[in-house]
Amino acid sequence: MTDANAATAGTGVARRPKRRPLWQRLLLSEYLVLWLSVVYFAIMVPIVPAIASPETFRNILSDLLPLTVVAIGQTVILIIAGIDLSMPAIIAMASVVGASVMTGTGGPLAGSPAAMPLGILTMLAVGAAIGWFNGFCVARLKMPSFMVTLTTSMFFSGVAIWYVTLRSTTTSIANLPRSFVVIGQGDIAGIPNSLWLTLLIAIGVHLMLTRTVLGRHLFAIGVNPRATQVSGVVIARPILLAFVVSGLCAAAGSILYTGRLETGSPILGSNILLDIIGAAVIGGTSLFGGKGKVIWTVFGVLFLVLLDQSLKLMGLTLFMVFAIKGAVILLAAIVDAARTRITGR
Amino acid sequence: MNHDSRGVRTPNRRQFTLGMLVAATAASVPIWVKAEGTKTIAVLFDGLTTEFLVAGMEAIQADLKSRGFQMLQAISNRDDNVQFEQVKSMIARKVDGIIIFQTDSNAVIPAIRAANAANVPIVHFNRPPAESDAYSVAVVADNRGISKATVQAMVDKARASGRKYKAAILIGDLGDVNALGRRDGFTDAVTPAADIIEVVARIPTEWSVDKTFAGLTNAMQANPDIDFLFAGSDFMIPIVQQVLTPLDKWHPAGDPKHVLFGSFDGDSGAYAALESKHLDADGVQDLFFEAKSAVDLVLAIGAGQKPAKIFNDPGLTVTQDNLTSVRDRMWGYSQWKKKHA
Repeated sequence: MTDANAATAGTGVARRPKRRPLWQRLLLSEYLVLWLSVVYFAIMVPIVPAIASPETFRNILSDLLPLTVVAIGQTVILIIAGIDLSMPAIIAMASVVGASVMTGTGGPLAGSPAAMPLGILTMLAVGAAIGWFNGFCVARLKMPSFMVTLTTSMFFSGVAIWYVTLRSTTTSIANLPRSFVVIGQGDIAGIPNSLWLTLLIAIGVHLMLTRTVLGRHLFAIGVNPRATQVSGVVIARPILLAFVVSGLCAAAGSILYTGRLETGSPILGSNILLDIIGAAVIGGTSLFGGKGKVIWTVFGVLFLVLLDQSLKLMGLTLFMVFAIKGAVILLAAIVDAARTRITGR
Repeated sequence: MNHDSRGVRTPNRRQFTLGMLVAATAASVPIWVKAEGTKTIAVLFDGLTTEFLVAGMEAIQADLKSRGFQMLQAISNRDDNVQFEQVKSMIARKVDGIIIFQTDSNAVIPAIRAANAANVPIVHFNRPPAESDAYSVAVVADNRGISKATVQAMVDKARASGRKYKAAILIGDLGDVNALGRRDGFTDAVTPAADIIEVVARIPTEWSVDKTFAGLTNAMQANPDIDFLFAGSDFMIPIVQQVLTPLDKWHPAGDPKHVLFGSFDGDSGAYAALESKHLDADGVQDLFFEAKSAVDLVLAIGAGQKPAKIFNDPGLTVTQDNLTSVRDRMWGYSQWKKKHA
């Protein structure tokens, strides 16, 4: 319901909607984070001139793409008022299983032209399977998503390390086919290959959220699952599908991360959970559910990557980086709470 | 603006806060501008979680400072992907060289390639990358040579006692080249001394505290007469003490129940054990030499030279006999001094 509709609802009299104060309009703006990114960039340029270099722009794009893919999956879960803490474990699990299929060092498809496509399919299957399991526990067994994904995260993080010890004499799986590696590293006419995959996923999820019945059900579940159920929607199916989408996004992110490191690693992405959730929340997706857009998440990722790049370029210590990023994400959560309060839900 | 009782204009609270924020921002800018120095080396570690890594970072920092160089530090927190991004950021920052302690020997290869493409010298500190066509130099301890010399010092002591010994070795992770080098150094030294030393237990630990404890406990149950022990890393010393003490085998050198004990690394625990005479010999990675060599190699590569991909730290063996004369080269001693200052 729009503000204008809300103003007239129940009265039958057309009234001009009350104009919000400037600070509220800024706070509620869809593009708040984008403008913040622009302002932050402008402030940082004189402090760290290297941030305006073409290399940094390329780095920002390269760092932004895989994180965007994964954060989009988290956005879908946040929309249903859930949370997926298992995404780093899915990234790691998909990475090592896919790498073990494709590797030229003892892999079952070593040297075969089918190695790359089957490896990718395997990675996606791993993501979908873990996502389905999460979704099943949440939707059918009525377990809290926090608890389910926390435990699957711990379980699959351990399994990924154990799996590598079975498949490799080192702590990772290398020697991946070139055709796979170029997905994460290569570019065509200066445009990274990973951009196409990211665009495909972003547009696909955007259409799913905005143009399908499933998307409407997801938002409705996020706002009020009981009311949605009473309205005749079987809510288990959309919840389960949301977790499958989340798992698939994590696996797609794993394809990009694994490709650019040329290595299947059981600790791949082990520290990016805060970035994944933070990017979605900074963008404006509500932790309370029922609100979120793919484009907001893209803005959130952009801001976080920009912040990260600037801190790296300044050579700040790890503790400072953690403190600053943590503070920014906390601020975003506070802004989310303030927005929810202002809009009255 | 407000006016006080004399009619003088004074800033209100909002203006004061705004003014302070502007002043704080302006004051902080010169600090960051200073960090934009011309000679800058990036030092990228995967963590500062062990005494060795902290000491390594400090040694490199001290060396760079003594040369008047600027250091940019970044820690990846054991995340290969983050470390790759850090390398690319440092390249964009146009640093004069990168010293890296990577998490994974395979995953670091794209980072080396990126540095190669940007003509930024890259040197690995203490841990070599996997074989590849990318060019970088690794400063690594000669694990096999140092271990051999350390165990040889123990063998010499054993031979001098005129007794025969039953030996055990605590091996690290069998997938780790450092662990294998230390195991091979042990074998190199004990094989020619087979007349007095019989190796009865080779215990794989995977660098795990639990597995070290369980493995050594089982070995001591199967062979209670083990009296010659070599540990692949100094972190195992407290575990050895924990296992030997209830068996009445943790005694200083000179005691008839003393177990001949050697280890590897050179940390503060090893120094303390040497000083208390529970440890007979310790293979020490010469951290200060490695730090200086890493910086030297960055400069050499930057100057157009192409050193060999592996640069060995010959290390040193510290025994109770030479402890006071060589302890200043033992990095653990500097840590120990700090703790006991």
